Order: sequence, then C-alpha cells, then structure tokens
Amino acid sequence: MSAARIVFIGGLLSYRALFNWLNPWIFIPTLVLLPIFQILLFAFMGRQANLESDQFFVIGNAVQSASTPCLWGMTSAIAGERSSRTLGLLLASPAPRVATFVGRAIPVIANAWIVSLISFAVGAWLLRVDLPPSRWPAIAVLVLVGSVSCTGLALVLAAISLRVRDTATLANSMYGVLLIFCGVNVPLAALPGWMPAVSAWLPLTRTIEATREVAAGASLGHVGGLVLHELALTSGYLLLGICILRYFEASSRAKATLEVV
Amino acid sequence: MTSTVEVTDLCRSFKTSTGLLWRSHRTTEAVRDLSFSVERGELFGLLGPNGAGKTTTIKMLITLLLPTSGVARVLGIDVARDPQAVRSRIGYVFGGERGLYERLSAADNLRYFAELYGVSPRSQRTRIAELLELVDLSGREKERVEGFSRGMRQRLHIARGLLHDPEVLFLDEPTIGIDPVGARQLRELVVRLREAGKTILLTTHYMLEADLLCDRIAVIDKGQLLALGTPTELKSSVDIGQVIEVETFGLPQTAIDRIETLDGVRTVTASVRGHLQLLVVQGHPGAEVTGSVLAAVDDQVVHRVLTREPTLEDAYVALVGGS
Ligand SMILES: Nc1ncnc2c1ncn2[C@@H]1O[C@H](COP(=O)(O)OP(=O)(O)OP(=O)(O)O)[C@@H](O)[C@H]1O
Ligand SMILES: [Mg+2]
Repeated sequence: MSAARIVFIGGLLSYRALFNWLNPWIFIPTLVLLPIFQILLFAFMGRQANLESDQFFVIGNAVQSASTPCLWGMTSAIAGERSSRTLGLLLASPAPRVATFVGRAIPVIANAWIVSLISFAVGAWLLRVDLPPSRWPAIAVLVLVGSVSCTGLALVLAAISLRVRDTATLANSMYGVLLIFCGVNVPLAALPGWMPAVSAWLPLTRTIEATREVAAGASLGHVGGLVLHELALTSGYLLLGICILRYFEASSRAKATLEVV
Repeated sequence: MTSTVEVTDLCRSFKTSTGLLWRSHRTTEAVRDLSFSVERGELFGLLGPNGAGKTTTIKMLITLLLPTSGVARVLGIDVARDPQAVRSRIGYVFGGERGLYERLSAADNLRYFAELYGVSPRSQRTRIAELLELVDLSGREKERVEGFSRGMRQRLHIARGLLHDPEVLFLDEPTIGIDPVGARQLRELVVRLREAGKTILLTTHYMLEADLLCDRIAVIDKGQLLALGTPTELKSSVDIGQVIEVETFGLPQTAIDRIETLDGVRTVTASVRGHLQLLVVQGHPGAEVTGSVLAAVDDQVVHRVLTREPTLEDAYVALVGGS
C-alpha cells in the first residue's frame, strides 16, 4: 500500500518538484515546437533529395520526439535530488528505493507519450500525410511503447548522472545517438557496417519499425514480435538502472559519494 | 537499560583525490575514537570548531555514512548493520536554506516526505496541519518554498523531521543564519520537543544557545573528544576563574603589561571598541583580582567595569584554543 502510494503520489510530486520544464514557457517551445521543426526539416530535406516519403519522416521523428521528455525528465527527476540537496534526506528515509525512483518514471512516460502524439498529429497534418482513422489507435499504442522503452534507457542515464553530477551531457549525447541509430531518418539498411548492430540494443528502433508497418496497414498483432522484443529490452534497461542506483547507494555509505546535503 | 545513542570508539576517514593526471590521494581523519552516549529524553550538544567532525558523526548516526571502525547504536540498533530499522525511528534536520523542493508548496514538501516515511494516508492531513501550526507556518502552506525566508525554511525543515514522530532527533546547526527573534523561537521549539520526551542531539556554534538548551555537552576537535559534561561542569573544568571586563581609554601598554604580571591573573586581552579600549582579564580559579586590576589602572581612564563568571564560551575557547 505504502509502496504503491510512493510510486504514484510520490512519483508525481517529485516529478513536479524536479522537472522544471513543466512551465508552459519551456514546455511549448522545447517539447512541442522543436519536434515539429525537426519533422519538417527532415521531410523537406527528404523531398529535396528524393528520399523516402513524408510519412517515413513523420513517423521516425514523432516517435523519437519522446526521447527529449524521457531523457531530460528522468535525469532531472533523479539527479535533480542532488542540486536541490535533498538526496541525503531521501537516502536517510526508510522509503523503498525501487518504488521511489521507478515511480518517477510514470509521469515521464505520460509526458513523453503526449509529446509524441502531438508531434505525430501536427506533423501529419502539416505535411498532409493521410492516415486512415482506423490506424490511429494502434499508432497511439506503439507511441506509448516507444515512450516506455525510452524511459527505461533514461533511468540508466539518470542513475549514472546521479554520480557524475552532470545531467546535460549524457542526455544530450544520447538524444543524438537515438536520432542517428534508431532509423529515425535513415533506414537501418542504409547505415554503414557496424552501426545497425548498435541499433539493435537501443530503444525506439523496433517501435519505429513497427509504427511504420502499422501505418502501412499491418495489424498490431502482426508487429507483436517487435513490440515484445522492445519491452524485453526495456525491462533489461530498467533492471540495469535499478542495479546501478542500488550499487551507488551502497557504495556511497562507504565512500561518501552521495550523502551530500 | 541501554542509552538511546551509544557511540563507541567511532572512527571515520575520507579518502579524497585531487588532480586529473597526477592524482594525489589524501586521507582525512574526520572522526577519531569518539565515544559518548545520549540518554533517553536528554538534550545533548555536540560542539566543536568548523571541520571538527560533528556533521560526519551525525551522518554516521543517521545511517548515511558507514563508520570506518567502531560502533554506533541508536535505540539499541547498530546503525551499520541494520540501517533500515534505525531510519524510521529517527528524524534529521540540518541548518541552511537548501534541502527543500523549491517549486513545491510547503504542504507538498511535507506530503512528499510523509509518503517516504510511510505516514498513513488517513493521519497525513491532520499531522501536516498540526506540524504547520507547531512551526508557525499555518496559512502559508500553499505557497511555494522558493518564496520562503530563511527562518521559514528552517521551521519547515523541522516540521519535515517530525512528520513520522521520531523518538530521536538529530539537529545539525538548526539556528544557523536565523535572526535573534527567529532563533529564540526555534530554541523554544526545541525545548518543547524535549519536554515532549524526544531525545535530541544538537550541534551549534552559539555557545549561549548550547548553555541554555543542553543537558550535557561534548566538545570535539579534529574528530576527538576534548571534554564532556553539563554546561556547569565544563565551565568549572577549565582553568579559569572570574572574568573582569574593563572599558578604558588611552591605557598605555606598560599598564597592560603590569596587569599581566599581577597575582591571580591568567590572561589579559585588550581590544579596541569604538573610541574605547576593552580589557578582558581572566583570573585563575578562586583568585580575587578585581581590586588589584583596578589599582593598576588609573581611575581617570576607567569608563566601566564588569565582573562576571566564566561563560561556556570562555570554557570553549580555553578548551579548543588550547588543543
Ligand atoms: N564527503 C567528504 N569527503 C571528504 N572529506 C570530508 C567529507 N565530509 C567531511 N569531510 C571532512 O571531514 C572533516 C569533518 O567535517 P564535518 O563536516 O564533520 O565538520 P563539522 O564539525 O560538521 O564542521 P562545521 O562546523 O563546519 O559544520 C573536515 O575536515 C571535512 O573536510
Ligand atoms: Mg557541520
């Protein structure tokens, strides 16, 4: 009971406390407008170069737009404890750690899902990408899967940034990695030699592939394998993130690395 | 019956390294062979200069740091072995403005920590209202903490530390940077908590505060215990007697030198205060020196004379200054 409350109520409270982009002056330009600009930029470049379709770019960039709220939201919500000097208080409390930290993932996922859906809808509308209404529910589900999987990876980065005291560098670099490696604007088959091997271990790769298939008319059941694979990878990242947090907490008591108040 | 806090031969060192390429390592011994105990219901003061190891000791007691060696028990539980059992029964408050979620309201800050401490949802609302009342923040609870003054933040910290009604409270410099009236209110609050039966371990740099509040005091420096006792015991333990303060003007150095050689005089310090000179003469215990000091100073230049018993601050300076 108390763990469930820490996940849901605690998660939301701490997300509001530590993610300062929830203010409309940051939220709209950074999380709404920027992804739409990115969709337009790549779609227009594609038109110039006669590569791929507008739909290809809308799907890739809209799904990838979840990565900004995921990476930044999750690292702020965890590593932000350090700059607010509340980490010591948190670690001195008896609260179950997994519930405390993983609870913060829920608002992150919700935020990313909304951001992704908005970029998808606005991008499709601006570029006149015609998708039958019947395909939208499945697309919405896949976009949610993308947000969840990206949050898994973000938890790992958040855990690391708690120790390296730098939230910006890791989140920014990972944004670039996802943009290049996940088939957002360049099909995986066109990536040189070793690169697709990296793509296979990243979130979003399979979600983007599945979303393109569904948009082209496939059913959700048809892409079930991809979705399951994506969720398995997510669980791996979540587990890794939790292990890193646990390890850092334990080693902090011995080496005085996190107890700063 | 065991003590509420029991520290035995406690040590803690820190390894720090500097430099990127040629890393040099250093070890700081922050706490060295510290032993003391705090009894149930006692208000215990931990005094010492900056870097003495007070915060490090508290961090070990509240389970944030492991001792390098030695044992610390809180409520009979070993803090190194069973931190989880200790955490839910103690409260921790440190001084300063940080450590609050700036963008959340005071009430939401408390609500969040109430969740972390497992305060039951049914009692949360009344508990938070009660504590806001206690720390005199009722009516301001809906405001964001970023707009709070230092004193308000400090009181909110205390409310946070009390949410789960802990048996033992660790207060690390709770009155730092607070105005005199605010500090007085905070001290009254601490007294009330003590009256409510809490065991309290407090650190402070204000000697008057320690003298007023503490049942017993430990003075530490460089991680080691220098003295332990009631404020009265500490004052009489050090080698100082009566203190005479003489406000003069234009006293020649020869006169000061002469006073220093008088029988029964331990130390003389002269300092400038505005257009006046302040002479502080510490006597040896039992010695009566007022008469001879005044005889050594020309009546014409004496502005004011004050004789007082040694304060805790005198004792503290004698202890720490001489170490
Ligand atoms: N995390 C740390 N890493 C390295 N050294 C540390 C760490 N924490 C404390 N120290 C060192 O340990 C010593 C004791 O510090 P501590 O904070 O316990 O002092 P304090 O008595 O609380 O001082 P103050 O009155 O200034 O608060 C200092 O020399 C300090 O530099
Ligand atoms: Mg300190």
